[in-house]
Amino acid sequence: MKPKGIKLWEENAVPKHRIQWCPGCGDFGVLAALKQALVELEIMPHELVLVGGIGCSGNIRNYLNGNAFHGTHGGPLAYALGMKMANPDLKVICLAGDGDTFAIGVENFVHTCRRDPDMVLLVMNNGVYGLTKGQDSPTAGLGQTVEVWSEEHPPMVDPVLLALASEATFVAQSFSGDVKHTARMIVEAFQHPGFAFINDFSPCVTYNKFNTYEWFREHVEYVPEDHDPSDKDAAWRLVRDFARRGKLPLGVIYRNPRPRTEARRLPVWEEELRDVDVEPILATFR
Amino acid sequence: MSGQMNRVKILVGGVQLRDGVSTVTEILGRIFTRAGLFAVAMERGYASTIYGAHQYDPMLVAEEPPLSYGDPVYDILVALDYDSNPDAPEQPNRDTVLRHGAHLRDGGILLYDSSTGEIPTESLQARGVRIFPVPARKIALTELKREIVKNIVMTGALFRLLGFDGDFAYLRQLIEERFGRKGREVVELNLRAAQRGGEAVERVLADRNYTLDVRLEPRPRRHRAVYISGNDCLGIGAIQGGVRFYAGYPITPASGILEFMERWLPRYGGRTLQGQNERESIRAAIGASLAGVRAMVGSSGPGISLKVEEFGVIGATETPVIIVDAQRAGPSTGMPTRPEQGDLNLVIGGTHGDIPRIVLAPSTVEECYTLMLEATELADKYQCPVFFLTDLNLSEGRKTVPEDLFARRPSIRRHGVLREQEARERPYRRYAVTPSGISPRVLPGTPGAVFKSSGVEHDEFGFVTIDPRKRAAQMDKRMRKLETYLREEAKPPYVFGEIRGNPVMVGWGHTRPVLQEAREILLRRGITVALVHFTYVYPLPKHLVEPLFADAGPVVVVEQNYSGQFADLLQRELLIRTRRVLKYNGLPLYPTEVADGVQRALQQEGAVVRIGSEVPVKVEVGWDEAEGN
Ligand SMILES: Cc1ncc(C[n+]2csc(CCOP(=O)(O)OP(=O)(O)O)c2C)c(N)n1
Ligand code: SF4
Repeated sequence: MKPKGIKLWEENAVPKHRIQWCPGCGDFGVLAALKQALVELEIMPHELVLVGGIGCSGNIRNYLNGNAFHGTHGGPLAYALGMKMANPDLKVICLAGDGDTFAIGVENFVHTCRRDPDMVLLVMNNGVYGLTKGQDSPTAGLGQTVEVWSEEHPPMVDPVLLALASEATFVAQSFSGDVKHTARMIVEAFQHPGFAFINDFSPCVTYNKFNTYEWFREHVEYVPEDHDPSDKDAAWRLVRDFARRGKLPLGVIYRNPRPRTEARRLPVWEEELRDVDVEPILATFR
Repeated sequence: MSGQMNRVKILVGGVQLRDGVSTVTEILGRIFTRAGLFAVAMERGYASTIYGAHQYDPMLVAEEPPLSYGDPVYDILVALDYDSNPDAPEQPNRDTVLRHGAHLRDGGILLYDSSTGEIPTESLQARGVRIFPVPARKIALTELKREIVKNIVMTGALFRLLGFDGDFAYLRQLIEERFGRKGREVVELNLRAAQRGGEAVERVLADRNYTLDVRLEPRPRRHRAVYISGNDCLGIGAIQGGVRFYAGYPITPASGILEFMERWLPRYGGRTLQGQNERESIRAAIGASLAGVRAMVGSSGPGISLKVEEFGVIGATETPVIIVDAQRAGPSTGMPTRPEQGDLNLVIGGTHGDIPRIVLAPSTVEECYTLMLEATELADKYQCPVFFLTDLNLSEGRKTVPEDLFARRPSIRRHGVLREQEARERPYRRYAVTPSGISPRVLPGTPGAVFKSSGVEHDEFGFVTIDPRKRAAQMDKRMRKLETYLREEAKPPYVFGEIRGNPVMVGWGHTRPVLQEAREILLRRGITVALVHFTYVYPLPKHLVEPLFADAGPVVVVEQNYSGQFADLLQRELLIRTRRVLKYNGLPLYPTEVADGVQRALQQEGAVVRIGSEVPVKVEVGWDEAEGN
């Protein structure tokens, strides 16, 4: 059975006119890219779980078809980890904000990179807490020159560097103003056998008046063709080189799957749980 | 109780991580169990895993299953301590004796390692205690050339004192199973060690003209038994109950569950995750449960506190998770290796807003198994958090349990999980409003249905809403599950004795055996009391409980916490007044002190009797057990 294209992804979803994002919000671009990618990947909605973070961004889970889960702020990666451990056949994507992922949920980000479950994380990075009205997030200050720092206003976290340092196996960057490229990154992320992280620049038109679409357009630049993403040193070099030039690389920065142990779906149904013999356990207590 | 046949209470003490206290009691427990006796070693006296603290392990052995572990009155004290530096001002080899000598019954037996010198025992001898200095470590080091066998020397000595396993047949078998792989020599060395211990006792008997009046005789029985802890029993219950995902973060006294699950779950097709923190653990369990697997987490107070935000997620998203809380003394890090029943308020109240939840508290090691089977079903059926409250003693304490307990192989029923066919029948609504409050689930991956699940208030489809009617309908639906539960599932409390017109002792969770024994003590004193004991703790089955208390005398709630958390619940739910007997000094409840406490509480309306806090506890050694863990 083939998906019926984009329309399929508009069923079981909040109707378009009820979407609660500010007009022009970068998250719209991600939504469009996501649908395109899912069509291209020929994933069926029932196979997919969208795990939303808490924030404007996390609401995306209800704006398209597919199973969805939404729990606590900072929790998506850990819920998704359990889902994938329980059923490796599921297609799981976490969709969260930069506050959710790098502030309250940073503990999960670091360890999920290490654990490398076969799933995708797309962070809609806008440098602010959108839903709570524009406070600084850990990625606040992108591209701004700051003379002095304080405890209240520390330097920003670079998600790509954090991912590389945390042993992520797939690190990519996209810009929701470029829907086609973002869709490409999502496709490649799903195809990666392991944890695939996409840092998507997704402008908050309401609260981030510095990192606007125009600003991003001036600063993004595609990863050069000759970059070897399987080379970690090359990845570090690339990031450093772009930073020196004040540019933001778009594309796959690092991709190097790790050998993984095989995993199967855990027993769920009556017939899989019947006739359990605990004799071997009892034998150890005699 | 001098000289009772086939009933002995032993305390083994020594320096933690050095003397092998639990190695000795583990050997004893297994051998006594194999010999058809019943060993109960529920009170584990240890500090966090730090070298050098005092550790002790009391064990009651009897030919019939004892009601409880009994009072802290010992027939035999086995002191494994020795001095590593004989010039130090504090002598560790007196620790066990100093701390527990007062609890040795008149005419009891002290067996101690005299390798680094004899210790003063005049005051014990004055009470008729027979003293057996055995230089176990010296024998091990000089004669047998292996220090490690010193504990077998002491075991051999103890067996001789008990007139038990004279030919070391039981011991030989256990040693062969344990060390057989290392070769005959190791087995023979151990047996020689046991023999040397026996001989050392013979010598003392001859020198001092002692006679022995305690004796343990094997009682081979037809059915096999295991010597097992509450943690292990609940682990077996979980596996039989279909749990195939477990997540935990190391914490005393729940770590044993994590270790059990890491070892066994994969063999039954499951997985165990050591979370990077408490929240990752419970969130992963929620995720696994969402994917359809019966999922469980375990922790203790500090970890449970960190999981509280997920209680709400579980409740609101209706994703079943079993949460084991192996309680220890709080608040904060509290006393990590001491028992308490202080988390009741946390598990019945933890979360903002209201969620349906079920709290079960097993009252014995056996119930850790049987009640866990129930917990797995209840979680699946009611799609809510099911809390399983043990405590340090129940979790880590060990006991002889006949194996027929595990013989019944429960068949698992998946409740309300739609398969493809059913899911396709109508547009699927994850949070359909139903009379029972229970809405059918579909698992992700089921063709024909898609769900939206959310901790944000939602409509029947799972979409976000703040519509007042939809909100009320969903809240009502969720909470209605508890009415269904109370109607269909909740069990009445245990009742012992006649309630009508009599004072009633009330307890909950792991204290039941002690309260039963306290009740018998009171009966012997001519005080008629009933005992009502709860294992289905929350929501309180009011319709079953209220009639019980209708014509009861004064109600005395006995529990191990400062405020009387269960007493508060009972008062609130039944609008009755309670008196309280409370203990929170880190020691387990003992039958006689409970009987005394209840007797005092009965003298006065509104009485609160605090066990162990009126009299300053005598500190016998200058420094105290370590912190941490
Ligand atoms: C425990 C907790 N603390 C605070 C909040 C309030 N809160 C909601 S969204 C949010 C930040 C969202 O920022 P981000 O993750 O960057 O997402 P965005 O809205 O920008 O897409 C906060 C702090 C919450 N829901 N839960
Ligand atoms: S506040 Fe910002 S992030 Fe939120 S919807 Fe509006 S533009 Fe988007």
